[in-house]
Amino acid sequence: MPAPLAPLTLEIVVLLLGIVLLGFESFSKGGDRGWMARWSVAILSVVFAWSFFTTGDTGVDPSHAFYCADPLALFFKRIALLTTIIVMVISLEFRPVLEKFIPGIQPGSGTGEFFALPVFTCAGLMFMASAVDFLLIFVALELVTISFYVLVAYMRRQNASLEAGVKYLILGALSTGFLVYGITWIFGLTGETNLARITQVLPSLLAEGGRLHGSESALLFALMLLLIALGFKVAAAPLQFWVPDVYQGAPTPVTAFLSVGSKAAGFIVLARVLQTVVFLPSIAPKVLSVLGLLAVLTLLYGNLAALPQDNLKRMLAYSSIGHAGYLLVAFASIDPAAGNLYRTQTAIGFYLFGYLLMTLLSFLVMTVVSRHSRGDDIVHFNGLSKRSPFLAFGMLIAMLSLAGIPFTAGFYGKLLVFSTAIARQNFLLVSVGIITVAAGFYFYLKVVSAMYWKEPTEDQPVTASGLTKFTVAALCTAIFYFGIFPQSLLSMLPSDKAAPVAVSPAPHK
Amino acid sequence: MQDYLPILLQVVVAVVFAVSTLVISVVLGKAARRNAMKDSAYECGMLPMGEAQPRFSVKFYLVAMLFILFDIEVVFMYPWAVVYRDFLVEHGSSIFWSMLGFVAVLTVGYVYAVFKGALDWSK
Repeated sequence: MPAPLAPLTLEIVVLLLGIVLLGFESFSKGGDRGWMARWSVAILSVVFAWSFFTTGDTGVDPSHAFYCADPLALFFKRIALLTTIIVMVISLEFRPVLEKFIPGIQPGSGTGEFFALPVFTCAGLMFMASAVDFLLIFVALELVTISFYVLVAYMRRQNASLEAGVKYLILGALSTGFLVYGITWIFGLTGETNLARITQVLPSLLAEGGRLHGSESALLFALMLLLIALGFKVAAAPLQFWVPDVYQGAPTPVTAFLSVGSKAAGFIVLARVLQTVVFLPSIAPKVLSVLGLLAVLTLLYGNLAALPQDNLKRMLAYSSIGHAGYLLVAFASIDPAAGNLYRTQTAIGFYLFGYLLMTLLSFLVMTVVSRHSRGDDIVHFNGLSKRSPFLAFGMLIAMLSLAGIPFTAGFYGKLLVFSTAIARQNFLLVSVGIITVAAGFYFYLKVVSAMYWKEPTEDQPVTASGLTKFTVAALCTAIFYFGIFPQSLLSMLPSDKAAPVAVSPAPHK
Repeated sequence: MQDYLPILLQVVVAVVFAVSTLVISVVLGKAARRNAMKDSAYECGMLPMGEAQPRFSVKFYLVAMLFILFDIEVVFMYPWAVVYRDFLVEHGSSIFWSMLGFVAVLTVGYVYAVFKGALDWSK
């Protein structure tokens, strides 16, 4: 076995790949750019495999580090890599639509950046997973957000894409402003930007005789600003209003990337930031109650507003808000007495991985179908089971997992999340969660009923490339595998050996 | 309070100077009198009348953005140059190579901008 590699090499390879792709793009004059995506898929897959041979030791004292490589960080790096790989596969299917809205001198000219920018986004997401200093958090977040600004508005001859781009740019810049303002407040109060050192100094500052004693409101204000900024990123109500328009207008692969990658990175940053304050007895109850409120609002808004949607892309946008709500339940159920966040981290890690599988699967099938049917309304899926039984089955699995049917990854993720809430006896959150799951069954199964019980409006068969078929099959298998054998995934996540994250045996048997 | 007397004097001198020059130019010169052109808003040489939202070529934004990018790069080099010598003695040559890496990444960006025609105004 080769010597373990320094974890930073992963990011460096990904960044170099992006730079090389941009270099190729600048010297060539148009033509087919599919090879860029195929090479990215190949190289990112190698990096993904590579991530299992890295050491978690960066050789830097945590109180001076910008970058950490704990199991959680490595897990989220894998999420970022896997998301980017599948997004590249989706982009390959999306190419004909993309070329239609970017008329160039030659077919395919001007599409190269569409395959190079996601690689940079991936590097940013990987840095976010490892960031333990506000400065690196900020820089990584900007790398992600700025490449998304370009990608969202990529189809420049389509008004919906431009509208989405402007909305995302303005609201993204606004939320960045909140983030920076929050960071300056934290820095002003503690004199530190390193999360480990902030954790160290806060108890003494808040204690009797400390500089912040009796005036926690300044710290709470800073946390509120940070929560607003991260709420934008993860699409938590009441900061979710940009999501439906941006998700619907953006090119489909970018929507898939936004709804998985951006959300996963936002949640890991939220976990790292909360770790600094959640064990302070004077702060924790307030922060947790705000998180609980956000969770309830997000759950209700996302799942109820998805009910009347006719457009699948827009419905998936609301569903993505709803899933942010389930993840926030895990945050609102943090136990301040536990001394660590392992339980919550495990729940969100597993949930996000399952969410990645099922969301990307549904976006992949949607891209193929909407290319053939020229639209992504649910009507366009009518009778898909007759036009392409294989893709219809893939979509069926994705929808069942999103709804949370037992033996799928989506079900076990929800089980983990609700078990954190039950452990804290937070029955309001559990009951709201269960009501919204019921609402979810309606709108996810609406798609299934359109595919299997409605007559097709066109009878031309839907075809997909071999790579797409392989990806659909792999994602379906993974959804069942991790739903039935969750332990294989849980072993990669941080766990408290003394009090294992033992969920009572699945009750729905 | 004694310390603030010079500031007070300065304020008085400034106000008297500004007011007196304006008054003298109105009394003595014809050019200072008001007319319609003079009362219109000053817009940095642009015509103040016209469409409310004129369209500018996207090239203006592109050039402005590239300027900011490479401008910031130079700003970043200043603190680097200041600590360079001390850092070199204490920690070795990593400071040199890290800046070289930074510039290399920027060079790729520059090459990209040139070959994409971002600096070609007539295109």
